[in-house]
Amino acid sequence: MAERNKRNIEVPQGVDRLRVEHKKVVQGCEGQIQHWEMVKGDYEALEDRLKTLPDQVSYDIMVPFGPLAFMPGKLVHTNEITVLLGDNWFAKCSAKQAQKLVEHRKKHVNSALDDLHKTRKNFEARVGFTEDLEKLSGAKGDYVEIREEVGSIEEIVSKGKQRVALKPHSKPKMEAVVKIEEEEEVDEEGGGEGDGGSRRGVLSEEELWARLDELEVLEEQEEERHRRFDSADTNGNGNDDTTSSSSEEEKEGDSGSHHRVNGHDERSKGRTSVPHNGDQLNGTAQSTRDGEEEEGNCLPTIYFSHTVEPKKVRINTGKNTMLKFSELKEQKQQAKRKKKNGTSNGHSHHGLHNITTPTDLYRLFVDVKNGEPIPRKSILKSRSRESSVCSDTSESSAADFEERRTFGRTLSHDENTYSDTSDGITEEDSPTGVPLHPTSRFQAFSGTVVEKEPIPSSIPQFTIALQALPTIPERKLEEVAPEAPQEAPKRVSKFKAARLQQK
Amino acid sequence: MAEAIQKKLQSELEKYQQMQKDVSKSMSARQKLEAQVTENNIVKEELDLLDTQNTVYKLIGPVLVKQDLEEAKATVAKRLEYINGEIQRYETLLKDMEKKSDQHREVLSSLQQEYQRAQGLAVGKA
Repeated sequence: MAERNKRNIEVPQGVDRLRVEHKKVVQGCEGQIQHWEMVKGDYEALEDRLKTLPDQVSYDIMVPFGPLAFMPGKLVHTNEITVLLGDNWFAKCSAKQAQKLVEHRKKHVNSALDDLHKTRKNFEARVGFTEDLEKLSGAKGDYVEIREEVGSIEEIVSKGKQRVALKPHSKPKMEAVVKIEEEEEVDEEGGGEGDGGSRRGVLSEEELWARLDELEVLEEQEEERHRRFDSADTNGNGNDDTTSSSSEEEKEGDSGSHHRVNGHDERSKGRTSVPHNGDQLNGTAQSTRDGEEEEGNCLPTIYFSHTVEPKKVRINTGKNTMLKFSELKEQKQQAKRKKKNGTSNGHSHHGLHNITTPTDLYRLFVDVKNGEPIPRKSILKSRSRESSVCSDTSESSAADFEERRTFGRTLSHDENTYSDTSDGITEEDSPTGVPLHPTSRFQAFSGTVVEKEPIPSSIPQFTIALQALPTIPERKLEEVAPEAPQEAPKRVSKFKAARLQQK
Repeated sequence: MAEAIQKKLQSELEKYQQMQKDVSKSMSARQKLEAQVTENNIVKEELDLLDTQNTVYKLIGPVLVKQDLEEAKATVAKRLEYINGEIQRYETLLKDMEKKSDQHREVLSSLQQEYQRAQGLAVGKA
């Protein structure tokens, strides 16, 4: 309300000034019109005189002699008229010819007069419009402006997790609202004066522009939302060939580029190198988050969400450690993880059969690949390739690292025993350059490893995964450093910290 | 710091005002030319209305000098062309001046901001 009042106050000020200027123009026009009317009258008188002049050969007249005297005289050569053509040009012509010239000049004067009349009309109309606008904004008179704040929609947008079921046309809502407002305003404005259309146009125009700006902003937000969800929705589709390639690059290079919010990135990243992982992540990212979490618990599935967020790697190392880097999920998962830590084996088969999205298949797949259940741990493990993958985690891992650390601590005790086995496994995993590193912090997650069979026994899985933590960091550091020098330092610190913690 | 900025501001302001004056001068000159164009157009048309029988005079100082109709027409046409050319020249000049004045305006506004910031700082300190 305050804003509206403020706006109303500001608008009248500008409108006032506008009106004043308009009025000035109108007055100027009127002055000009008067002048030209005078000229026109003069010419008409002249024409009359020219008509009658040749009637007589000479006239007796009183010739003006200076400003105060007259003298009787005669007017001769009544048909010889020297006309000033303009610009110091003169022409001697007969009365009739002079008449023609005068007519020609009158045409000119008339056209000028017409122009002035038109301008005056226009500006008078504009003055009327501004007055109306003033009334509207000031809420005086009969016009009432109905404005509806669209703040609620913005709130929805900012919530983040929006379960919009791939509706590409969710905009109409806002548009409808806006249109209603516009219509209302237009109607109100139109009601006032007779000019109707033009006036309405002018009045509503100003407001329409403001509304258009608002709509633009809203549309942008919508787009982002859609993008986010689209990406999430397309998890199973594996549609991002292009994105996959980009994701590969990202995976290798960029941990920083992972932003959870954009499903785009998520998809792209996860696609190529770690298709299943990405899918899993993506799938999990959206609505299947809950499902994923459950699955993670039972199976050592590694969810990879390399897409936007580097940290979207979800490492399900059987220990209920679903390392999902999606920010929203992570919190949930952390809680769950903690719960599940103790129940690692109990849910092993849950995830296997809990296939809600295509990505789930991958998860199964991955788990089954290796003899051991920890296919993804490669990142964390000493596998050289994985270290490159791990590089991604630099950014995400940094954030997750803290979380993982606590996890790692809890799990560390089991991990140590299986370190040997995990190493072997991890190496097999192909370093997909996915930012699995962050997850590896706690577990030997090799986010990149995609084609590994689910670990039948959960215990060995997560133990291995965990094992990877202490060992992998070291290797990672070595491997990563050459590959991703930028990220290496970060990773080092994280893993070192994890290691230290584990110790 | 604030004073230096203030001085800069002043000098820029003066430059800008000078520019504005130049712009307005050019504009008025152009308007004059426009008026002359219209006038010459009318003269041309009226000369067309006349025929060779009428004598055409040209006012040179206090003297009316007889002129040939055709000659007069040619002269007027040439003058028209000349005036149009002048108008074009003035237009380009005006455009350049406008650009320069815009630049000056920007500089001025940025300086103003700086000055205000400095003022704010000074006030804060004091």
